[in-house]
Amino acid sequence: MTRILSFTPDVFFSLFEQYNLAIWPAQFLAYALGFIALLLVFRPFPQRDLIIGAILAAGWLWIGIVYHYLYFTQINFVAPVFAVLFVLQGLLFAWTLVLRGQVAFRFRPDVFGWTGLAFAAFAMVVYPLLGWLAGHAWPRSPAFGLTPCPTTIFTWGMLLLTQGRTPIHLTVIPLLWSVIGGSAAWLLAVPEDASLPVAAVIACVLIVWKNRLARREAFA
Amino acid sequence: MFSPERDLDRRTLLRALGSVAATAAMPVSLQAETGPPILTRAIPATGEQIPAVGMGTWITFNVGRDQRQRAQRVKVMQTFFDLGGGMIDSSPMYGSSEEVIGHCLERIPNKQSLFSATKVWTLLRALGVRQMNASRELWGVDRIDLMQIHNMLDWSAHIGTLKEWKAQGRIRYIGMTTSHGARHEAMAKAMAEQPLDAVQFTYNILDREAERRLLPLAAERKLAVVINRPFRQGALIDSVKRHKLPEWASEIDCANWAQFLLKFVVSHPAVTCAIPATSRVDHMRENMGALHGRLPDEAMRRRMIRTVEAL
Repeated sequence: MTRILSFTPDVFFSLFEQYNLAIWPAQFLAYALGFIALLLVFRPFPQRDLIIGAILAAGWLWIGIVYHYLYFTQINFVAPVFAVLFVLQGLLFAWTLVLRGQVAFRFRPDVFGWTGLAFAAFAMVVYPLLGWLAGHAWPRSPAFGLTPCPTTIFTWGMLLLTQGRTPIHLTVIPLLWSVIGGSAAWLLAVPEDASLPVAAVIACVLIVWKNRLARREAFA
Repeated sequence: MFSPERDLDRRTLLRALGSVAATAAMPVSLQAETGPPILTRAIPATGEQIPAVGMGTWITFNVGRDQRQRAQRVKVMQTFFDLGGGMIDSSPMYGSSEEVIGHCLERIPNKQSLFSATKVWTLLRALGVRQMNASRELWGVDRIDLMQIHNMLDWSAHIGTLKEWKAQGRIRYIGMTTSHGARHEAMAKAMAEQPLDAVQFTYNILDREAERRLLPLAAERKLAVVINRPFRQGALIDSVKRHKLPEWASEIDCANWAQFLLKFVVSHPAVTCAIPATSRVDHMRENMGALHGRLPDEAMRRRMIRTVEAL
């Protein structure tokens, strides 16, 4: 079989090590922001939708600029393209959620709310544990909120936690990354990344369903 | 049935096998630092002799800023030069490989035999100029010996620059590459029409498509031939290493499968240099061993093919 990636899994994990050590202790901040975003889904707070939107935008922009452009480009010639995608998604979040304030994030005890919550918890807790079990523990592991795959799973969760219709334009790049990032499960021996396409498929089905319900409610 | 292509193939092969035998009988000018003379091949355009086994850097030298892995690659490259190595081949497509090559070269004193080969891999002439300048700086050399158009990407935009640079002495040879059996027709057309000194494509004991057209054409056009993927990116070695090396491999002075597979490649008369890639010193030693001893003749080459195909 032709090896389509220009680097080995060992080099890939070594990159995470360099990145994690260089940005330490940003990992704590990322977790704190993740918890704040989840907390705000449950509790009323002034401008909470804008704050959640800003957290999502900041995460995607950071990953595009710092992880992809400044680090991943070292070993992957396609990384600048990934950087553009992540920055674009960050800008879409900033425009749609912060500047225009079009989306409200609320937990509802239905299939969308529970699945969204499960995805967010998976990204923050289960994903790193799976990595540890697979033999690439900290610092040679993708950090929540600061690397693409766990952040994308978390994003799917947050998009399911929106009230009413989820803007479809916010799902395109996460979907694309779920395909690209999911391939790492096989190409780079990152088994936890196999959860990415699974999360994407479930999230997309639920978002389509949720948006249809929202449309019916609007016409009712 | 008469087959001009096959006839030409056989004729070229026999004629060139004769010249290989003659070359083998002649004293060679290059040798490893402390060892016996090594197998070299002439670049047809100038007659310059280079070792018939070089070093590729796809994947193996793309280690980013990892200092531990960089130190390991210095050892690999040091071994390469200690054993008489010459051609190192890379590309801007290979991530940090060119930067890591420069890092290694800076730390190796006995690199006089270096024959630098890299590629231009971008659209547009202006971007190509920028990329080639960047490559030279990353390698830390005064000039790149062989500049190749990678996978023929936008070759019509770059060929003019390469001609100019060669005339100005900024590069020494112009080349063009393709890999894994792709675009052989387009490559053959370029070989026939463009002012190339070298071509690079895939050839190994199982992937012999190049024998039909590209290798005879290179011999006819007097082009140097650089062979990539002599081990099918390691897959070939992985599949044969479970089996015992045939005892008759000693008749061509092969001590391991790597030498067996490399001697098959470099014994083709049209081949100038094979560029296996490795990140291990012991594997580099095995590869460079193919520069010594006897080469297979045509009958032996057929036997080698039958053996590997039967595994």
